[in-house]
Amino acid sequence: MSSLALMRWLEATPERYDAGMRLVTFGRVDRLHEALAAAVPEGARVLEVGCGTGAVTRRLVARGAQVTALDQSPEMLEQARRRLADAPGAPPAWLEQTAAEIDTLPEAAFDAVVMSLCLSEMSRDERSYVLRTALDRLRPGGSLLAADEVIARRPDRRILHALLRGPQWLLGWLIAGSVSQPVPDLAAEVAAAGYGVRRETRWLAGSLALVQAERVS
Amino acid sequence: MSALSALGGLVRDVLQTAFRLAPWPTATGLRVVGSPGPDSPVLLTANYDFTVRHVIRALRGCDVWLVVAPAKGINVWCAAGAGHLTTHQVVTALKTSGVADRVNHRDVILPQLAATGVEGLQVFRRARWRVRFGPVRAADIPDYLATGGVKSDAMRRVEFGLRDRLEMAAVWAAPVSLLVGGLTWVFRPVWALPLALLATILAVAVFLVYDQLPGPRQLLLGAGGALASVAVVAVAGGGLPALAAALLAPFALVALLTFDYAGSTPTEGSGGFDGQDWKIRLDPERCEGVYSCFEVCPEAVYEKHEGSRRVELAHDERCVRCGACVVQCPKDALFFEDGQGGRIEPATIRQFKLNLAGKRTVAVPPPPEEQKSA
Repeated sequence: MSSLALMRWLEATPERYDAGMRLVTFGRVDRLHEALAAAVPEGARVLEVGCGTGAVTRRLVARGAQVTALDQSPEMLEQARRRLADAPGAPPAWLEQTAAEIDTLPEAAFDAVVMSLCLSEMSRDERSYVLRTALDRLRPGGSLLAADEVIARRPDRRILHALLRGPQWLLGWLIAGSVSQPVPDLAAEVAAAGYGVRRETRWLAGSLALVQAERVS
Repeated sequence: MSALSALGGLVRDVLQTAFRLAPWPTATGLRVVGSPGPDSPVLLTANYDFTVRHVIRALRGCDVWLVVAPAKGINVWCAAGAGHLTTHQVVTALKTSGVADRVNHRDVILPQLAATGVEGLQVFRRARWRVRFGPVRAADIPDYLATGGVKSDAMRRVEFGLRDRLEMAAVWAAPVSLLVGGLTWVFRPVWALPLALLATILAVAVFLVYDQLPGPRQLLLGAGGALASVAVVAVAGGGLPALAAALLAPFALVALLTFDYAGSTPTEGSGGFDGQDWKIRLDPERCEGVYSCFEVCPEAVYEKHEGSRRVELAHDERCVRCGACVVQCPKDALFFEDGQGGRIEPATIRQFKLNLAGKRTVAVPPPPEEQKSA
């Protein structure tokens, strides 16, 4: 079958995932999670796509949100469940599903959709489908909060990012077991899916973006 | 242009064979092979560049839609076993690739070895596509399609012939030779090339003869290698330190090359899992002769009994514990039994795949109460 060494790296990922993300983002991932959660109105009905180990979920629940959190990895969900076991607030509804399967959720049933660092793990086709499908899950006026790795706009920052990318890629693969391609222009893809983009915030020399958008009609 | 792309293909073949232990992702989504129409078959595979290129090559002359599913750039069997090619990735690919708009049917053919990770029934429930598991090898797909989906016994079996053995030898020889040669280069440049060569020769020997050797296999092969390299050093007049190194190096290399030999072959279950003492078990009361186990077993463990509409575990000694039969059985008639007689339920295998076999990320859930008391 396969090499044991490779399998070990691949499969031991959920515990390492958080540490790995912190390392490859130079610790900015925590600030990103704070900003994401703060942008969600208190008590909102939230759909979180790709909840991973529940780092954002925990912050959302602490703000009184009713969260439907989905992830395709049973191991990640297991970590998230454990992390939120004693958290105050309404326990989230956990779904073992892929992002593309949000088409089975009711339409206009959420005040906010949160996607943290999951769009960059998808192909362009998948992103387009997931963003369009998520739009229909939002009530009119509901908001999308999408955060991900992007390509910096300024040339000097692109060069800096390219230099950091190699070691980052290796670290990401070894520690988090996941390697992602940055989304070229997250805000543009969100707009192309039919949202009204309200705001874009960037960190890490312009390579990490938080896009806040809205279902206009 | 075509000569250039052929050269590119060759370079990629060599690199991807030598460094197969690393992922080689390729773009996911829909590929058009030939001139397919709305009635043409839909095939699906993992986004492992080597596989996708070879499937397309094997399909020359066929008109099919090929859906490339996200599997982290890992080959089908490993991805399915490690939980990277599961129902989720298949559902994602079927929903987002746009293939549903191109065809007027909902039948998708998956590689047989995906059956370890992908639940056919779940794909239907979640995406309304019917899954059939096709042949193990891409080369058999044209025949399989031409006969309207008849799978011969040979198409179902995983082989470990000369070619496969040499391929696996290359997979291990490349990184090990580079590592050993590179490290030696730093300290003793003269020894770098001979040692790298020794690693390559031993890798080939491991994959050609190792499973034929009587025990203790590692020791025998190491001793053979040591004898040969000592002779070479003696003839070359290398002196005492060189002789000592020639005596020790083959044993170290054989240990390095065989530490997961079983897991690198399709004929033995990986030695690194706690599940190596697991036995496949059949609950004959539950079996209703659906024969999905028969269809997906790569080792021909099962025999059909048409009269009684049951299967029989005729060759369980051949089982490599890939779990495909357990995952696919719609009647939950198959399960694993561990060394202590404990039962590992199909639901557990389906959820955690081979992760569970290694107990690396999750603990084996305790059996339900009623089974404990039964």
